[in-house]
Amino acid sequence: MATRLEAEEKTGKVTIDLIADLHGGLDFFASKGWLEDLSGRKLEGRTFISTFEKYATINGKKVYIPWMSATYVMVVNKKAFDYLPAGLTQEDVMKGTEKWTYDALLEWAKNLKDATGQPQLGFPAGPKGLLHRFLHGYIYPSFTGYQAKNFDSPEAVEMWKYLRELWQYVNPASTTWDAMGEPLLRGEVMIAWDHTARIKNAIETNPDQFAVVPVPRGPKGRGFILVVAGLAIPKNAPHPDEAWKLIDYLTKPETQVKILENVGFFPTVQEATGAIPSGPLKVIAEGVTAQSATPDAVVAMIPNLGEKGGQFTDAYRTAFQRIVLKGEDPEAVVKELGPQVKQLFQEMGQEIP
Amino acid sequence: MKVKSSYIPYLLILPAFAYLLFFVGYPLVQALYTAFTQNGQFSLATVRKTFADPYFWEALKYTIALAGVIVPTQVGLALILALAVNRAFKGKDLTIYALTIPLTISDVAAGLIWYSMLSPSGFLNKLLLNIGLIHQPIYFFGYQYRHMEFLAIVLAELWRATSIVFVIILAGLQMISNEYLEAAEVFGADYWTRLRKIVIPLLKPSIQSALIIRTLFAMQIFGIVWILAGRDIPTLAGEGFYRLTELKEYDVASIYALVIAGLSLLLGALYIKFMKAEYLEVRR
Repeated sequence: MATRLEAEEKTGKVTIDLIADLHGGLDFFASKGWLEDLSGRKLEGRTFISTFEKYATINGKKVYIPWMSATYVMVVNKKAFDYLPAGLTQEDVMKGTEKWTYDALLEWAKNLKDATGQPQLGFPAGPKGLLHRFLHGYIYPSFTGYQAKNFDSPEAVEMWKYLRELWQYVNPASTTWDAMGEPLLRGEVMIAWDHTARIKNAIETNPDQFAVVPVPRGPKGRGFILVVAGLAIPKNAPHPDEAWKLIDYLTKPETQVKILENVGFFPTVQEATGAIPSGPLKVIAEGVTAQSATPDAVVAMIPNLGEKGGQFTDAYRTAFQRIVLKGEDPEAVVKELGPQVKQLFQEMGQEIP
Repeated sequence: MKVKSSYIPYLLILPAFAYLLFFVGYPLVQALYTAFTQNGQFSLATVRKTFADPYFWEALKYTIALAGVIVPTQVGLALILALAVNRAFKGKDLTIYALTIPLTISDVAAGLIWYSMLSPSGFLNKLLLNIGLIHQPIYFFGYQYRHMEFLAIVLAELWRATSIVFVIILAGLQMISNEYLEAAEVFGADYWTRLRKIVIPLLKPSIQSALIIRTLFAMQIFGIVWILAGRDIPTLAGEGFYRLTELKEYDVASIYALVIAGLSLLLGALYIKFMKAEYLEVRR
């Protein structure tokens, strides 16, 4: 689509009326000046979640309307709440307060292992799992403030040391798991991190057994990834008013609930979250909303590196494998891989996130 | 229409040849091109890049180690099973059916079955815990337990793919004429002598084809390892797949494919050279 839009914008014969894409793609189109500024147009009867509004405004122009979102959360088997460490309440975890930290997670995981005799924490560290998203979008921003900028900083070394300690309480079979829904259902782990779509089946099977909660925070805040899809109108589109009507329809609270029910992407307007009927989707949506609404959020967007995206994630996986699994010196590994990660952004002419 | 009879053999192999040319020859040329060129120029850069990656050598090591353990065990097991089944007894057909059931199961499905049996909360651990043999579940999976993952893969592969060897060897056994065995018995040869001097030599063609088939498949081992061990135990086919789908490194993936092809060719040639079949009537 990018090449088609480029061709149309350059020749001035635009036939596309409406574009739907992830934030990264729309950000790129906006930087090329191919998108209409939508700040003059109004939508009635809905309030967009402020984080999304903020990201849709680029250089003072509103380049897209946030349409739907996805993220990665933690799922807790409610039995695990019996083993919370001193000073941490179930409320803290469910709401994502400042007490819900990575250190608290470590203590909690240790309690669980001591009580049950088995490690109860799980991550999708299999070859098709999304552990790399946890690394660059969650724990890195939480400890270093950035996804890649401080890849080889002293804070990052601390982070890796933390992760190595935490891994003692992680079910070792994690390195074979691609999605956490099944291990949660089989009772192999009590706390897991994964993409909402990959734990949905566990919540749908047993909505009363699991709680979906925000991720913990680190010294630099609560890092998490927001996947946002937006709707935009290209410059010189032939039917901008009709396109706007479609945007109006697609962002109505009742349409947003239908989207969630059918494809599992979450609403971007606050009214829709309230309109979700109770059940498994509500359990997930509450966790997602609680996470987006945490005041200490450090929001990460998945970098738009195109073909090099695989090499970006591979660097984080390699660091994980060498430091946490093989026990190599964290400082040496991040010093070796850091320049490679940064080079990827330089090659693509992007700022290092 | 009358076709000159000397053309007939060529006409008969033409469809198979065209198939191979299109589905093997063309991709092979493509892989060679992708692997050894850069910007249209001959280059060894991809080869160097692949060989510099520790994953490549681990994948090579594990692929050969898995084949080295699995294939001989399979042939041994299949031979014992085939000898046991190759006589008249009640329920013989049922036994053969039961032994060949795993043939119908794909490697990924077999991996999933064994995963759920061997997982910490799986059948095997539950059984051992309940009868009090162990007090902690045995971990088969995870990077820290790679030797156990290796064992799990061997178990799953033995269960899944021994049956193909069994079928080939059983067919071979049934072709051995009873006259040879009866003649040997007349001369006083006991069971072991008959096995060593008559049955095994006559089985050589069957064993050879079973070995070739199994070894070539073992070079491509992938699905079952991917399910049971992820990339904890890298294999050549698995790494090729990872490079292609995750990292979009088509050139490196081509090298992996070519290494698998090269190994298969080499091993196939070795088998044919060193395992010449013997025929009692026409000893060459």
